[in-house]
Amino acid sequence: MTIAAGIGYALLALGPSLSLFISVISKKPFLVLTVLSSTLLWLVSLIMLSGLWRPFLPLKSSAWWPYSLLIFTSVLFQEALRILFWKVYKKLEDTLDAFADRVSKPRLYMTDKMQIALAGGLGHGVAHAVFFCLSLLTPAFGPGTFFVDRCSKIPFFLLSAIIALAFVTIHTFSMVIAFNGYAEGNKVDQIFVPLVHLVAGMVVCVMQPNLRCDA
Amino acid sequence: MESSILESIGVEIIGVMSPVSICMFLVVLLVYALSPSNPSSSSSIRTAANLVYLESPTDSTSEKLEGALLNALVFVILIALVTFLLVLLYYYNFTNFLKNYMRFSAFFVLATMGGSIFLSIIQHFSIPIDSVTCFLLLFNFTLVGVLSMFAAGMPILLRQAYMVCLGIIVAAWFTKLPEWTTWVLLVALALYDLVAVLAPGGPLKLLVELASTRDEELPALVYEARPTVPRNANASSLGLLVAGVSDSGSVELQAVSRGNVSPGENENRASSDDSVVEVDSFAKEGGQSNGDEGQRLLPVDRALGRHSSSSDASEYSTVNVPSDRARQFGSVASEIVADEEEMSPLVQMSGSGNERDELRRDAAEMFSRGIKLGLGDFIFYSVLVGRAAMYDLMTVYACYLAIISGLGCTLILLSVCHRALPALPISIALGVIFYFLTRLLMEPFVVGAATNLLMF
Repeated sequence: MTIAAGIGYALLALGPSLSLFISVISKKPFLVLTVLSSTLLWLVSLIMLSGLWRPFLPLKSSAWWPYSLLIFTSVLFQEALRILFWKVYKKLEDTLDAFADRVSKPRLYMTDKMQIALAGGLGHGVAHAVFFCLSLLTPAFGPGTFFVDRCSKIPFFLLSAIIALAFVTIHTFSMVIAFNGYAEGNKVDQIFVPLVHLVAGMVVCVMQPNLRCDA
Repeated sequence: MESSILESIGVEIIGVMSPVSICMFLVVLLVYALSPSNPSSSSSIRTAANLVYLESPTDSTSEKLEGALLNALVFVILIALVTFLLVLLYYYNFTNFLKNYMRFSAFFVLATMGGSIFLSIIQHFSIPIDSVTCFLLLFNFTLVGVLSMFAAGMPILLRQAYMVCLGIIVAAWFTKLPEWTTWVLLVALALYDLVAVLAPGGPLKLLVELASTRDEELPALVYEARPTVPRNANASSLGLLVAGVSDSGSVELQAVSRGNVSPGENENRASSDDSVVEVDSFAKEGGQSNGDEGQRLLPVDRALGRHSSSSDASEYSTVNVPSDRARQFGSVASEIVADEEEMSPLVQMSGSGNERDELRRDAAEMFSRGIKLGLGDFIFYSVLVGRAAMYDLMTVYACYLAIISGLGCTLILLSVCHRALPALPISIALGVIFYFLTRLLMEPFVVGAATNLLMF
């Protein structure tokens, strides 16, 4: 419904990441590059995942288990991507430290490392928001709106924007936690991140039949 | 606490990537704003890009493919001919002619094509403006544009802004081409660019070598990603960064290298830097079906920026000065919808800071750092993204990421092999691949998941 609503939904999903970007990331060009490359990695993983699932689509069953299988494999894939990202980051950290030594500047600080992790997570989050929420928002700029099937009081766009916001937060900060966990060998942190991701994905999927709002 | 290296790594790459991103973003906005409400009413323009075959939606697939291939072939041949003509003109020292021709062409593009886009925006949004005001504004816009590009003493930010404007205008025109023709044309141009810059007989390579042997700047339109604020304060840190970068082979994010030149050339370089005039040759070829212009101009613009500095003695013991001149640039042929051809080299200006004379170094660094990217690259990246925008926002994002990563790869290659590099092939290849992968594979998956509120 109108441009104002469309922009509103877009900002709902991406507002905090925009402010993060402007205040923290845009000041250091390297972090911008990190955001871009992590977004690219997420996109490539998404393409590979859809390549895997393409023969089985569209899923027409009304049982809940094919959908949860979909979510499960997707989350697994992305957590594997996170580990890959970590390995690449370790190599990058060594390169940067060597470079810093050569120009006789201090090595990477703790805040630097966390900022790089934050930028990586933000890249994932922004990619998620764009592909799952923003790409469907084009009709929202027009004169009408579209309500959710099971609850005819909430516009679909609003719901998808709020869920996208939640997932952006999860992606952004789980990267920081995960990198910290891998660096310190903290098992709790390492398990925490994929678990949260999985639970979040599954909750939205499994709760679908129980979605009601007329109480 | 000392500033960490994270503050300053990657500045030049961002300096090139941000105008490219801005250009692409604005072209996407233009495409969305000016998209006709009923697709059947889109007028097909007759340009050199579809001389042979005018695509219509009712043709069969094989017909469309054949027609598109023929179109692309004719176009690439035209571009090659024009480039060779330019090489000839340059060889026989018709530099003044080229300069004036480029000025006229820039004026022409900004006035007519820019004006037509303004008019359609005004029409689309029903902006209440009278024709006298509109004409005056357009005239001012055009004149300032031509001045900023070809006159000395204009702020570099204005120049960069007008370069981006030119790119937007031409790319917006190119998106009016039919779909199959656009894709085949992009691929053909990427291949042509590869051949023209790297093959031994390629016209762009010849041009670049001619300019280098004459020690001149090429006539061309390039975007220079110079820092727009002179960094007087951190001249030394700049020198450090340059020094460290050119020495390290592993950190390849910087594309600034150092060349070894006699001290006498430093003054040359500094003075040539001061004169912002780039000898640009910009010939444009245009033929439009609405009959506004009957002229056919051939735009060819190429730029070669060459800045090398000497460093005999290094003030920093960690730096080794490479002894060969490092100059990198690439050329890309690009055309404007109205049959304009622009060569856009990806040029790396080698600026270094390690000289005995700190003052000279400061002045040198103020003016001579940065990567140069030809205008044609801007245009064709934006054409690809604009065409992706006509399908869906997802494809826009995917193609944008592909192009930016291709550009990043090219910049890294640039810092490794110090020569002219074409900027189109990697980005266009990645962009086309990602477009089709997204459209065929990813979209059913993601749209299906998102509409059922299955997010991960």
